[in-house]
Amino acid sequence: MTTRSISSSGLYRAIQSRRNRGLGGLYIVVVAFLLLYVWLFPGIVSIGGFSKFTQNWFPLALVTMAQALLMLNGGITLSVGPLVSLGAVIAATSMGGFAGTWGGIAAVAAIGLGIGAITGIIVAHLRLPAIIVTLAGSFIITGIALLILPRPGGFIPGWFSDLLAGNTPVAFCLLLVAIAGWKLFMATPAGLGMYAAGENPVGAFRSGVSVERVKVAAFAISGLLAALAGLFVAAQTGSGDPLIGNPFTLNSIAAAVLGGVGFLGGKGTMRGAICGSLLLSVMINVMFFLGFPPVAQYVAQGLIIVGAVAIPELTAQRRKK
Amino acid sequence: MKTAFLKTMPRLGSLLAGVSAAAFLMVGGTGTALAAANCVKGDRKAPFTIGWANIYSVPTWMKQTEGTITAEVEELKKTGQVKDLMITDAQGNAQTQIQHIQSMIDANVDAIVVIAGSSNALDRVIADACDKGIAIVNFDSLVNTDKVTAKINTDSSQWGATAAKWMVDQLGGKGKIIIMNGPAGISVSDDRRKGAQPVLDANPGLQVITETNTDYNVAPAQEAMTSLLFANPEIDGVLSLGGALSAGSVMAFDRQGREQVPTTGENARQFLELWKEKGLKGWATMQPNWLGAFSVYTAVQALEGKDVKPKITVPLPVIDDSNVDSYLARADKFPADGYIYSDYDKALFDKLLAQ
Repeated sequence: MTTRSISSSGLYRAIQSRRNRGLGGLYIVVVAFLLLYVWLFPGIVSIGGFSKFTQNWFPLALVTMAQALLMLNGGITLSVGPLVSLGAVIAATSMGGFAGTWGGIAAVAAIGLGIGAITGIIVAHLRLPAIIVTLAGSFIITGIALLILPRPGGFIPGWFSDLLAGNTPVAFCLLLVAIAGWKLFMATPAGLGMYAAGENPVGAFRSGVSVERVKVAAFAISGLLAALAGLFVAAQTGSGDPLIGNPFTLNSIAAAVLGGVGFLGGKGTMRGAICGSLLLSVMINVMFFLGFPPVAQYVAQGLIIVGAVAIPELTAQRRKK
Repeated sequence: MKTAFLKTMPRLGSLLAGVSAAAFLMVGGTGTALAAANCVKGDRKAPFTIGWANIYSVPTWMKQTEGTITAEVEELKKTGQVKDLMITDAQGNAQTQIQHIQSMIDANVDAIVVIAGSSNALDRVIADACDKGIAIVNFDSLVNTDKVTAKINTDSSQWGATAAKWMVDQLGGKGKIIIMNGPAGISVSDDRRKGAQPVLDANPGLQVITETNTDYNVAPAQEAMTSLLFANPEIDGVLSLGGALSAGSVMAFDRQGREQVPTTGENARQFLELWKEKGLKGWATMQPNWLGAFSVYTAVQALEGKDVKPKITVPLPVIDDSNVDSYLARADKFPADGYIYSDYDKALFDKLLAQ
């Protein structure tokens, strides 16, 4: 009994360290940037500074998780951004009305899950490419968000904004909860099945994974995460904006790819993706404090992203030689 | 003398706060009444550091506006009023703009000049900055919150109304028109359109065939108008609510060999040149690029203890056949796809602040 548990934990470590390989470059770059940030702005280590920084990172981290879990399953979504907008719009329009704060949260969660599940059903059962379905979905969702709230507005209770995006690191704690949830999900057959179906759908099917059902679940969870990111954005800004989420689509893909998640499914890790989103976020602040002019920021951003992706590839190639 | 007195007031207030709550309330009350401008506490000393939080730096209008900001900062550096200018570009992402403004608060800049990427999204972070005594001057695209030092803009609703009235006069109140708008969901484009509506309602003879929503760029506007020209053999006027849109429309009419119709627009160089070249009936107004320079000037005035009104409306000029030549005479000083804005100086700014 004891020996088995030891050997299985040894196996666990070995596998985890193998999964971290290739992410070393990214980890080094992220840590370097964080240290640089602390040096440039020591206030970040105070509770207020840390809270504000993590609040700005949090929605990107959530949508990156939403994107990465679909990419791990062999899919992709182009409707992450519009879903964030829709989540924000629903929160801002329902919380002031009959639904109240909790009703608003429930509405956002239900709609995120529902839209995700419907997208998943279309992709899995009609066997249409995810990229096309979610592209079409992004137009529809943007349209709905604009119909509900044609221009920025709505209402979020002040206490709710202060709770999520005040001077306490609540957002960071919620991120830890999300990561813990992902860890737990990965410990279930459904979680492993999601990976497996992304890597080798036929193999996964033959091993008894219900590939379609797993895909629908992946889309549903992804939709939920994106809508909750929208809820947070609404709390952070104190209102709803039907267009605020759009840039998240590309940024979530960038963060996931930066974190080593492949486009073909089954390759990559959630921790890598989250680190990728952290790098994208901390980069903005560091470059501000370095006083880079905006044009130089564009160039530097591009170089850092290429560097973080290229370094592990180059070291892996050298190792093979 | 007076400024020095004002600057000591808040400190006095906090000193007394410990003594008694009632005394604090009283002194706090008079303190706010005496404080010159919103957000400004009087504890910041020249030379000031200014943060310019741009939402998007790529469009020509933005580049020209940024040009007036940097020029103004150079002027104010000479007089020792400004030390440094920090520029950020959120690349159209309101979320990034929040992050930039947060960083400006962290860097403890003295003033923030901002064009908002969303009318609501920046409210909380801007209120935070205001609480820290940072002078916030918001222009062009405005935020909702009133916790700013000043909001500076032209009247978008009046923009739309005046343009629509001109169109009614041109067509004698009867005819088929197309309305060209900026992007959907953007307050400026929404407000201009809303301003036009009462005029359209009062003149039912003016029939709106259809409307377009495009970015404020020539190419998409031209494309949209080209397909509308195929579908509509009879168009009597184009009520365009943005400068580059009008240029796109005029070019579409020209390419299709259609006769030009009365067209409204802005001081976009392309539109003004086409107006003259094609001899069309035109009308234009202007969202002055120097609103940027004016905002920096206003922020510095506020920080130095001057009284600044929370809302400053800059009058919209009218450009018609009588004065379009005076604008075109200076055309070569502006980029080919840019906006020919009117001259500005300190005297004009002082006049606008005093109004």
